Amino acid sequence: MDFGYTTEQQDLRQEVRKFIDENVSQGLLDEMEAGEEGGRGPEYRELVKKVADKGWIGISWPKEYGGQSGSRIDQYIVEEEFMRRGIGIGGAGSGAPAILAAGTEEQKEYFIPGMIRGEIIFALGFTEPQAGADLAGLQCRAVRDGDDFVINGQKMYTSAAHYASHIYMMCRTDPDAPRHRGISIFLIPMDTPGITVRPLWTIQSDPPAPPGTTYGMPRTNETFFENVRVPASCMLGEENGGWYVGAMGLNLDRVGASRYLISVRRDEDIVNWVKENDFNGYSPAENPAVRDKIAEMWTEAQVCRLMTMRSMSLVNRGGNFTYEGSAEKVWAPEHGVKTTEAIAQMLGPYAQLLSNSEENIEDGLFAHNLMGSFQSGINHGSVQIMRDQMARRGLGMPRG
Amino acid sequence: MDILPSEEEQMLKNVAREFLEAEVSTALVREMELDGLGYPPALWKQMADLGWLGMSIPEQFGGQGLPITYLGLILEEAGRVMAPVPLHSTMVAALTLAAIGTDQQKQDILPAVSDGSMVLTWAVQERDARLIPDAIELDAKADGDGWILNGTKMFVDNFVVAERCLIAARTSPKSGSSQGISLFIVDPNGNGVNQTALVTLAKDKQSRVDFKDHRIERTALVGELDEGWPLVEAMLDRGTALLCCQMVGAARKDAEMAIEYAKNRVAFGRPIGSFQSVQHMLADMLLHVDGGEMLTFEALWKMDEGLPASVEVSQAKAFCNEKCESVVRTSQVIHGGIGFMMEFDLHLWFRRVTSWSLRLGTTYDHRARIASALLDVPGQVRLGMPLPMGV
Repeated sequence: MDFGYTTEQQDLRQEVRKFIDENVSQGLLDEMEAGEEGGRGPEYRELVKKVADKGWIGISWPKEYGGQSGSRIDQYIVEEEFMRRGIGIGGAGSGAPAILAAGTEEQKEYFIPGMIRGEIIFALGFTEPQAGADLAGLQCRAVRDGDDFVINGQKMYTSAAHYASHIYMMCRTDPDAPRHRGISIFLIPMDTPGITVRPLWTIQSDPPAPPGTTYGMPRTNETFFENVRVPASCMLGEENGGWYVGAMGLNLDRVGASRYLISVRRDEDIVNWVKENDFNGYSPAENPAVRDKIAEMWTEAQVCRLMTMRSMSLVNRGGNFTYEGSAEKVWAPEHGVKTTEAIAQMLGPYAQLLSNSEENIEDGLFAHNLMGSFQSGINHGSVQIMRDQMARRGLGMPRG
Repeated sequence: MDILPSEEEQMLKNVAREFLEAEVSTALVREMELDGLGYPPALWKQMADLGWLGMSIPEQFGGQGLPITYLGLILEEAGRVMAPVPLHSTMVAALTLAAIGTDQQKQDILPAVSDGSMVLTWAVQERDARLIPDAIELDAKADGDGWILNGTKMFVDNFVVAERCLIAARTSPKSGSSQGISLFIVDPNGNGVNQTALVTLAKDKQSRVDFKDHRIERTALVGELDEGWPLVEAMLDRGTALLCCQMVGAARKDAEMAIEYAKNRVAFGRPIGSFQSVQHMLADMLLHVDGGEMLTFEALWKMDEGLPASVEVSQAKAFCNEKCESVVRTSQVIHGGIGFMMEFDLHLWFRRVTSWSLRLGTTYDHRARIASALLDVPGQVRLGMPLPMGV
């Protein structure tokens, strides 16, 4: 057991912090605050190129595809430092693990270097209007036509679709097979004719959430596919084997700095806030009930961190998850909700003041967090589904 | 950064589990609940021969000088089978002496601990059971070259079988930065020392200990006179982290029994483990045991690295107090009525984990310590990084 970082890793962290201080431009901050492209507009892409030149993106990915064949822990350090400034960088959550595991040589050579340079960004096309938690019920069809597939259907909550270069989507390729065995994954350029993206505005869109909000994105999308013709080479993994590729990819993509930080930054926020602020002389930090709650939440947050470290350790050893990824995806989101609501009760009526209100705190951060924190327990597999997986895959419980 | 057990650590865990599961049956656990000593000396000797009692004692005193993390793994496995041995109390006192005792004290005691011939314990709490200096009133009055002890210690583990006991006593009133507390070694069989058995949920050996004009010599003092409180705190931290090891070991075994039961118990025509409500209870049990285990071993690891670990210890205990308790209670719920029948073994674990959750600091005590570290020292906090230190 080793709960610490090596000297080299500590140096890496310092170097990344210094790099961020020197290279995050006002333009990028403005771009992120505008929130138009989920913080991934032109300024973001500029930054990614610079970070890629440092060799800091996809550190754990193989050298032959532009990574460093390095440590997953090093990659995590880079991800964490950028995430703490609200910038998603480093390689987690990108779809890369699934491409590396299941992709053809050609796909790996095309996608991985492009992702490292920030030129390839995926939107995720899994959910459909009638297939959310029960994803295997998806109906979006891909029908073979010679060397092509023709896709028709609709995907929901494709959050990055309006700025992504590609969509990483699940389609039904065999409607007669058992549900899980008739699904394939496709990696499709967003500029393919027949794809239409329509915005869906979230409850954070009016007024817009301040930077640093938990799930403060104003916009997601629904994406329509009408006779979208793509070559069969767009398929990732085997035809009708997509369910398993997707499940594995999701599990690996859950691992990383992002999920954990989303859920624990609130704990840091409130401690730092009460230490530096008060209400006309009264500090909630004087209240024994508040102190007890802050300590409880802080302890739970440590468990979020440790679960992430456990997943990192497993991945770094080349091991497989049984339940650990799902565990992280239960604990962190539920913690995020608990702590967000507890903080709101500490701040009282101030915590309901939105970003455009007079007298708000931290530009309305705590109010907007109340609208965002619970989203973490819903997206990418709800906490209920995750508990099912823990019990069935982790503990061997029979299906109902 | 690799928080999973190393190959060597895993091997130690496996060996410990194999030995303990073979040697410690629930029949033995029940027998020892009624036994005068509360432990089988033969088993204790075997554990000494395996090198466990000297595991984290320095080599020059008959031990192996291994990290406390290793000892933690042994205690976790001991907790798993509820091994009825005075391992925890002996190790807490021994490691304290190893850290701060005089050479003579170490020479007199540690080799005997390592070879299994001496059981130790320690006593801090009194009737006001808070683990703070103000609650310590046991009076140690200077008397020539020694001291005379008068007062009462509470909740002392294994006092009936211990040959030495470390006690925190008041040698001076609190003044300035000094708490006026000193740490001494006492002989439980000495004149003017009387123990009264307490009957605990765990049905283990705990005592109230009354000192009446008990005289100790100069050589009984451990550390500096009046400056014993930081030593007591370090002892409590070590003891608390090691107790958490027992709690997570026991809670995990208890959870495993619920898992097995849920797979096999049929109701409404199918195993109850196929019901989502039961599945989600089991998933939560897993989250809670894993969380407690990771917090605990992070605290022990920090001790081994010589880093401040008090906040980590309190995180572990505050969490285990609630979550390990929740695990064993949930296991009772999944087992239904049979779970609380005397003849069924499950309550052996429930009663111990519950009892342990009330020792060495309540949830509120530990959270108060965490809150103070977070809120009462200036400077920004960041999770996963050292907290700002006071001046």
